[in-house]
Amino acid sequence: MKWISALRTASPATRRTALLLGPAIFALIAVVATSLWLVGETARQTRTIEETSALRGAARNILITLLDAETGQRGYLLTRNEAYLGPYNSALSDVAAQRQQLFVLRDDADVAGDVDRLLVLIDQKKAELTGTVKLAQTGRRAEALAVVETGRGKAVMDEIRIVAGKLSDMADARLKTGLITLKQNADGLALTTQIGAVLILAFAGAAMWIMMRQIRALGIARRQVEILNTGLEQRVSDRTAALTQANDEIQRFAYIVSHDLRAPLVNVMGFTTELTTGLEAVKAHMNKPDDPQLAGQAHTAIETELPEALRFIRSATDRMDRLINAILRLSRNGRRELTPEPINLKQALESAAMAVQHQLGQVSAETNVSAPVITIVSDKLALDQVFGNLVDNAVKYLDPKRPGRIDISARRVGDRVVVSITDNGRGIAPQDHERIFELFRRSGVQDRPGDGIGLAHTRTLIRRLGGQITLSSRLGEGTTFNIELPLELEGAGIG
Amino acid sequence: MSGANNGTPVRIVMIEDDEGHATLIERNIRRAGVSNEIIPFTDGTTALDFLLGADRSGSVNAGQSILVLLDLNLPDMSGIDILTQIKSNAHLKRSPVVVLTTTDDEREIQRCYDLGANVYVTKPVNYENFANAIRQLGLFLSVIQVPATE
Repeated sequence: MKWISALRTASPATRRTALLLGPAIFALIAVVATSLWLVGETARQTRTIEETSALRGAARNILITLLDAETGQRGYLLTRNEAYLGPYNSALSDVAAQRQQLFVLRDDADVAGDVDRLLVLIDQKKAELTGTVKLAQTGRRAEALAVVETGRGKAVMDEIRIVAGKLSDMADARLKTGLITLKQNADGLALTTQIGAVLILAFAGAAMWIMMRQIRALGIARRQVEILNTGLEQRVSDRTAALTQANDEIQRFAYIVSHDLRAPLVNVMGFTTELTTGLEAVKAHMNKPDDPQLAGQAHTAIETELPEALRFIRSATDRMDRLINAILRLSRNGRRELTPEPINLKQALESAAMAVQHQLGQVSAETNVSAPVITIVSDKLALDQVFGNLVDNAVKYLDPKRPGRIDISARRVGDRVVVSITDNGRGIAPQDHERIFELFRRSGVQDRPGDGIGLAHTRTLIRRLGGQITLSSRLGEGTTFNIELPLELEGAGIG
Repeated sequence: MSGANNGTPVRIVMIEDDEGHATLIERNIRRAGVSNEIIPFTDGTTALDFLLGADRSGSVNAGQSILVLLDLNLPDMSGIDILTQIKSNAHLKRSPVVVLTTTDDEREIQRCYDLGANVYVTKPVNYENFANAIRQLGLFLSVIQVPATE
């Protein structure tokens, strides 16, 4: 039963095909068997008809031949003319042959009784005929006529007529029913052939339909595999590009940090030395209090140089502190455990827009959130920080020359979601499109407060959420930030 | 240091976002005996406004002798962008640009010279060396000829 288990494990399409073709084959076998049986029946019927027809012929012929022989006998007996013996003799030899034919027909059980009787009667008649003719030929004509006169010959002949007639009638009846059966067989055969033809056409059609469907299904499956393949290649190259970019950024980050930490260090060391120089001047004055030139230098040192040096040292250390704090914050954000949960994206965007409403009143601007209901599984705190930061920036860098407008929208693209935050603010120059994401870097006129940390922080967060941020902007017209995020945060993203 | 036509004194435009650095640079240049006017800028946008004018054509400084001291790491734009704009400007392209920055990245130095920087000086962290470098730069500035812009 290997094929049954094969059928069980086969695809639904193959199973359907087998289930349809199985009965089809059985039906065709039935049609063929019926046809063969009908053909056999027809042949048998034809044979029966032939036999019946032979029986009828033999019954009629024997009667006619015996009558011929009797006519010859009578003619001879009356006239003693030898000419009558010609037909008589030929009739008698015919009787022998026809008797043989009848004898064969005794096999048919239905007619065997009558045929046997007929054979007996034929023999009796033949004996009467040959007996009388022999008497006449040997000159005993009176004896021969006496035999005829007994009427036995006539009685035999009458019975032969009756039996032969009966056989003939019976044969007629049998022929009639036989022909009817034959016609029925022929009709049955025609019908069976027609049914067979229809079935063959129907099953051929069905088989073709199934084949077409399977070919189509195979084509679709192949195309899907191709799409998946190219999709996979695309994803691998996307990932590689993202990793390369992340690596470049880490190097750039290290470079920026080392530079930005080195700059205040130069100030601390420089102004410490300046401080020493100023103190030297004060010391010189203390040693020679009467020298007016030294007194003037000491005065300048105490009044301006020393406070200035201290101010610079303090501001440099403040700056270093700020930088180190910012770096720590970024590092902490990179390490914070993400807790993915289902988030109503539209709500998150609306609350980010709500958070800046109080600022909008002062600058005459409006926000507009248009997003379908999308639920994404991600880290709520990180997402709120990302959206908050970007909407905050959009408000901060609106162009005071025109009424501000901030459009926030979201849409699904495959298994990802793209959030767009568009403003009609001052815009960002093309050479700064990458730079603004770097730590401590800002773009355009520095007339707004800020440390150049927000976007660096935002991009780090988005990367961790498995997404990426891009922007398109025209200086003086506005900026669109596109944030692409996975619908479902998978494991830990690239830190 | 004086202009080629001797009529206009050379002005030093210092683009440096760190005020401490700016003060230290100015002080050490003065100690080297350079007394030319120093115009400080702390960001790229206002510096370009001064150098190239609001229309960025550079015609506002036609006929002036200008020397630029440039830091590469500015908050609002990259010093490389400023260098590119100065060197591609019809009026200012011959004005000497001294790049003075904390970066000692080989590629960055090459890139600045490729873009037409005249001198590239790395700010040493050690103050003795820093002061020394700036003073030597001051001595260098006191002897070079600065052409007037066209």
